[in-house]
Parts: sequence; structure tokens; C-alpha cells
Amino acid sequence: MIQLFQFLARQRVILLFLLLELVNVWAVFKYNAYQHTLYFNTTNQWAASILSTTQEVKTYHQLRIVNGTLARENAQLRTELLRLKSQQQPLTKLPYYVSEAMLNRYQAVASKVIDQSTSMSQNYLTLDKGRKDGIQPGMAVISSTGVVGKVMSCTDNLSLVVSVLHTSNSVSAKLKRSGELGYIKWPGYQSEVADMMDVSKYKKVVKGDTVVTSDYNAVFPPNIPIGIVAKVGLEKDDTFHDIKVMLFTQFATLQYVYVIKNRLAGQQAQLETTKPKAE
Amino acid sequence: MNFTFNFKWFFSVVFAIAIQVLFLRDIAIANVAFCFIYTWFLVKAPMQVNPLLLLLGAMAVGWVIDVFYNTHGMHAFACVLVAWLRPVYFRILTPANGYDERSSISLAEMKWLWFFSYLFLMLMSHHLLLFILEAGDWSLLGYSVLKALSSTLLGMAVFGILEFFNRSE
Repeated sequence: MIQLFQFLARQRVILLFLLLELVNVWAVFKYNAYQHTLYFNTTNQWAASILSTTQEVKTYHQLRIVNGTLARENAQLRTELLRLKSQQQPLTKLPYYVSEAMLNRYQAVASKVIDQSTSMSQNYLTLDKGRKDGIQPGMAVISSTGVVGKVMSCTDNLSLVVSVLHTSNSVSAKLKRSGELGYIKWPGYQSEVADMMDVSKYKKVVKGDTVVTSDYNAVFPPNIPIGIVAKVGLEKDDTFHDIKVMLFTQFATLQYVYVIKNRLAGQQAQLETTKPKAE
Repeated sequence: MNFTFNFKWFFSVVFAIAIQVLFLRDIAIANVAFCFIYTWFLVKAPMQVNPLLLLLGAMAVGWVIDVFYNTHGMHAFACVLVAWLRPVYFRILTPANGYDERSSISLAEMKWLWFFSYLFLMLMSHHLLLFILEAGDWSLLGYSVLKALSSTLLGMAVFGILEFFNRSE
């Protein structure tokens, strides 16, 4: 202790100098208006940049929760959107109205992808929602950008989805501009490209046209975007166009999907079984 | 130090401050050269002065000037720093045979080369600090250095003339 005081006493000149200069600097930056604003602005800038960096770090840790909240909000909005779209009046003067059951036909449930494959020729996804959340086999699964697949089977808490990247899966589709019907089938090569089949070669197909789900889809709601026409080819003897579609859905980074419940799916299936069998 | 010496010293300092704030505050040659005659006490203080006392004295004088110039803390800052750097300057300017213990700091005793180099160092550091702190802006650095340099030259001229009058002592 004594030695500390002795040390301080030895350095008394420097200490006094530092003390006096500190007082002076404080006086300069407090009582002179221009220097005060310099100090104020500089320290504000430093504090702001440090705080914004801290804020970014904090925000990063909350991303998972925020993502979940956003996915749920999206599901709600999607349900409402599908309802509003069903309300759109056709361009006829007929007294057409959409019934309540048809308006509330579709309901979206947000779900997280817990497992998926994209590199095999038959690809499936596993979702974290199951029978307890109302998911049934046969329901449509879409993402925020495009089409994902159909639910194949469910357990109480999980579901298995057949992806569009599956050689035996097909999605009924139409070209947005002309309304030409066809269906999307994945050939098994790249995970971004699928083929559109059954579009007659006598119909015009434009490169860059959007491909959406058709109105006759039993599973998917109409006008859900699937992809964009990347290449149109025609062999000499073909009946149909050879259309390559770039899919909108980024399967590699897929995290959240929406399972679309079609309330009238059971009714529609039941109705269609009453069709008389062909002889 | 006997009592009369202190008294004379004190009055000289007060006189210098009075001249500074009453007359020299509003005078500038070509708007760049300012005279700071109150630094006289820093220049003339004996070499053996108690450094603590000098620091406190510099702080006090600087603060008084600040009050009149409305530059709170800037003159005090410069004065205290120069008071602290004085021993460093003495070390830099040590003559070949070392310092004579009894000599006072004057033109007659220390001769031209030493005195004016010492004066230049003291005044330059003081004025540079003062003007840069006052400007507060790095873009005005050139102008501040110009003011410091011209004020230093003016100060050296003024102190040289004053020393001339004391030569006979």
C-alpha cells in the first residue's frame, strides 16, 4: 500500500498534468457550442453503429421464432387469398354467385419440412404436421413460391409428401397466357426443370410464359404458380410441344410449406365414383 | 525565492493577462497573426520551478484567458500541455556543456540561437494546439497551421523586442 502511494508520489507531475488536461478537455467539449456538437455527433455515431451491430446479433438469434410466426401468418393470408380469388366474378352477364361452401373450400396450414430428398428419382418430404392437425392423405402442398407436392400418408404428428420431383407424380397445369391445359411431369434429371406434357403442337406456346395449376385440378387450388416456360421445342413427328419448365420452388432451401385442405375433396371424390363404368 | 520576487512575478503575469484581454484580443495582423503575450510567464519561468506549481499556474492563467475569450478550456488546455512539455524542450535544446544552474531564461544569458529555438518550440506548440482545437474541423487544418505559424513569428518578434529592453539588466 505504501509502495502504491510512493509510486503515485513519484509520478505526481504526470498525474497532475493528466488531471488538469482532462478537466480542460471536458470544459472544451461541454461549454463550446461547436465542439459540443462535434462530440455529440461523433459519440452518437459510434453508439449507433455499436448498438445496431448488437441488435443484428440479437435479431439473428430470434430468426427461428420469427420464421415460425411468419409461416403461420402466411397460412392465414393464403386461406383468405384463396377465398377471395374464388369470389372473382367470371366475365359473363349471368347471375353467377359463388356459394359459401365453395368460398371456404381451401384452408392453408403452415408446416415445417423436417426431411426431404431432392437428388433421387423419387423424392419425398416429411412434414411436422399430421392427422392431429387435420392433414389427410391426398392434400396439396405448396410453398410461398410454387408447388411442392401431394400428401401421401400421415401419422398422428407427421406426414409424408410425394414431391413433384417424383417420376410418377403429375400436376394438372395450364399456361397462364392462353389457358392451354397440360400436365407437369418430372423426367428425373435436374431438380429445377420439369416437362409440360400434352399441349398440342397447333397451339402457340411462348417462352417466358407462366405455368400455373389448372382449374380442373382435384388436389391443388387453381392458379397456383408452378414455373416458367424455359424452352419450347418441337420434333418433326411430334403431336405435342416439348416444353421445359423452370420450377419456381427452390427445393434445396425449402423450410416452410403450406398444406392446402380442400374441404370439398371428399365430396368431389365421392361424386366422381358414381360415374357409370365404361362397358 | 524571496517574497518581493514573487510579488513582482505575480504583477507581471496580471499585467500580461490584462494587456491580452483588453487590447490584444481584437488585434490580428492580416487576420492570421495573433499575439498571445500572456504566454510570457510560461517562457520566462525559471528552469528550476516546481513543475506542479507551473502546471497549476498555467491552468489558472489559461482559464482566466478562456473566460474573456469565451473559449472555455482551450487556452487552458494549450497552456497546461506546454507547461508540461517545457522540461522536454530543455532536454532537446541542451547546450554542449550542459545548463548552468543559475542562469535565467533570457536573451542575454542564453544567447540568440538557444533562445529563439526555445521560443519557437514553445510558441509553436502552444499556438498549434490552440488554433486546431478552436477550429474543430480537420478541413480547416491548413488554415489553423497558417495562423499558428504566423502567430509564432509575431510572438517571437514581440518577445525578442521585450528581451532587448531587458538586455541591460
